[in-house]
Amino acid sequence: MRCKEESDVYTPWTAKHKPRKLAEVVGNQAAIQKLEKWIKSWEKAIPKKRAAFLYGPPGVGKTVSVEALANELNLELVEKNASDYRTADAVQRFAGMASQYTTLSGKKRLILLDEMDGITGTADKGGVRIITEIIKTSRSPLVLIANNAYDPRFSTLRSYCLLIKFEKPTFYEVLRRLKEICQKEGIQAEADALKLIAKKDKGDIRSAVNDLQALAQGKKKLTYQDVAWLADRDRKDVIFNVLKTVFYSKNCLDAKRAVDAADMDLDMLFEWIYENAPHHLKDPHELAEGMDALAMADLYRGRIRSTLNWKFMRYVIDFMTAGITVSKEGPARGWTPFQFPERIKWLSKTRKNRKMRSLIGLKIGKKCHLSSSAAIREVLPFLRIIFESNAEMSAGLADWFDLDDSMVAYLAGSQGS
Amino acid sequence: MSYEMWTEKYRPKSLNDMADQVEIVKRLKSFVEAKNVPHCIFAGPPGTGKTTAALCLAHDLYGAGYREHLMELNASDERGINVVRETVKTFARTRAIGEIPFKLLILDEADNMTGDAQQALRRTMERFTETARFILIANYSGKIIEPIQSRCAPFRFTYLPREHLIGRLKYVVQKENVSVGDDGFEAILEVSEGDLRKAINALQAAASMGKTISSETVYSVVGRASPADVRGMITLAMKGNFVGAREKLREMILKYGVAGSDIIRQVHIEVFRSQIPEKWKIKIAEVIGETDFRLTEGADEEVQLSALLAKLTEAGHEMQRGK
Repeated sequence: MRCKEESDVYTPWTAKHKPRKLAEVVGNQAAIQKLEKWIKSWEKAIPKKRAAFLYGPPGVGKTVSVEALANELNLELVEKNASDYRTADAVQRFAGMASQYTTLSGKKRLILLDEMDGITGTADKGGVRIITEIIKTSRSPLVLIANNAYDPRFSTLRSYCLLIKFEKPTFYEVLRRLKEICQKEGIQAEADALKLIAKKDKGDIRSAVNDLQALAQGKKKLTYQDVAWLADRDRKDVIFNVLKTVFYSKNCLDAKRAVDAADMDLDMLFEWIYENAPHHLKDPHELAEGMDALAMADLYRGRIRSTLNWKFMRYVIDFMTAGITVSKEGPARGWTPFQFPERIKWLSKTRKNRKMRSLIGLKIGKKCHLSSSAAIREVLPFLRIIFESNAEMSAGLADWFDLDDSMVAYLAGSQGS
Repeated sequence: MSYEMWTEKYRPKSLNDMADQVEIVKRLKSFVEAKNVPHCIFAGPPGTGKTTAALCLAHDLYGAGYREHLMELNASDERGINVVRETVKTFARTRAIGEIPFKLLILDEADNMTGDAQQALRRTMERFTETARFILIANYSGKIIEPIQSRCAPFRFTYLPREHLIGRLKYVVQKENVSVGDDGFEAILEVSEGDLRKAINALQAAASMGKTISSETVYSVVGRASPADVRGMITLAMKGNFVGAREKLREMILKYGVAGSDIIRQVHIEVFRSQIPEKWKIKIAEVIGETDFRLTEGADEEVQLSALLAKLTEAGHEMQRGK
């Protein structure tokens, strides 16, 4: 282990935790196998297709897979990407030579032409045509990478290539990778925090790892709160503008229109308004009116749930926007910054306990002929006292209820924590 | 030594063991003799023996293996319309084996079923009457739709008389060999509000602390068991600290898992005990009632209750201005 590396805050984690072996690459197992098989076929004879064309969305591991493969099979990787010139001459000089001669060390060579999308018509004149020519006669395997292999510029080139499609890794694959990195970095991360990152970056593993670094580097713990902010980072201005309109515009229509313009999740917007209402409706009468409007909005949300009729959504919007607007009678007094919904944080903080509670509730309910909610309400509080004060009775009851260790620990711990 | 919850350990097994709800037990016994049971609704406050009566009826009807002939569903856990359609139907339509040609289906907390689910249940009850009989258990029979009510024999369970509660508690105390002072019994009776389950649970929790149970033990147990500081929350709201009151509310719901319906019941009690001017009390009662109703419709507990808190904040403000 290079001890310097740990303290080097400037190393991107995408490089620091880059997979060195194929098995470490996240997702795309089928594509990787196809690539590996093709490379290995070069050992016997030059295959029909002398180039492989890897394509797929950004940040899903195309380049990384090629690098890991070269590393694992001990190939010399010769690489060019969009930052290099792609004119016919330049390509010929580089790839043409490389494709014909073996390396000095005797290692086999793998030529990588990355970021093919970056070849532009004028600056890289003739680049694609010359690459096609090189492929036809190459004595070394060539790998081409682009986001879109079906760009018309590649139509001729494509027929000489083995096409390998890379797809976005699944949510769980990304999540697993984030967990691994946290482990290596010695960061204790809340599961919900990582889930939020994985969800936000939608299969772009590079961007997920970058986000993780931005949020967690130098920390021992990564909480949901740390991440929740990032999820809204791009949306912050949008949300603030909507809130400003809802709380401070003069008429209903403006308030309602602001929601359309924001194009954001209505439940989330509700939470923002609900959180901030008491800080912006300072007069008690205004506050009562405003909170009543929000309660009405919530009532219609409930009606949507129970009838599955989405037409009621328009009333939800009326009450949570216009309802707030009209509840404000006096002029704005001073400015209070908008803040992130506390309740969202609470929900995440208490999620584990609430889950545990309902599991215990089910166990109690089964034995005591109660619903789990009634069990939580009526029996669990007394059970807590028993588990805090009497070890023998607790052990017996744990057995009788068939509680596992984590449930016992929850009951014996101090209340609610 | 083996332990159980005392509520289960001392739950009567047969109708013959049931000391309370005399008239009801008498009628249920006649069902057993006739080997026939109509659809029933058992309605009444918590801890008055509804579930026990249903289980005892099943026991006496089918004998020791009664579990084979019985399905217990809890409408709060499994209240969707699909549960009625699938589970209940599957159970109800298969013919029973044995002397008695029908099975028994106990649907606890039936007043928590949605209207749709109740409608579906009504059809099922009708179609499978030959093979299944339903006992619906509810706190309020009013929340059961009329067509179901009219198909059921109603049984109204009442609060257990004080001496019966004491008798039952003394029986448990003697069997479990715990010592309780007289003031201990009084305290348990006071805090349990006629709910025998709550009384026995409080007794067991107090006994787990291992000393003679005095009124102090009982109050401390019940205090610890109900972390809902409703009075504190109301005070904060009325003093104008709405945000603080809302946070207390949030803590009760999310951290301690207190049910919204419990909070609102206590708010109702506290408001009438408080120093709020009489005129305001009734205004607030209206809001409390509306909030309570909305909660039963499945609205968000915190959002609805904080609208109520905002109303209290407004009331506090008006009172100070002497309106």
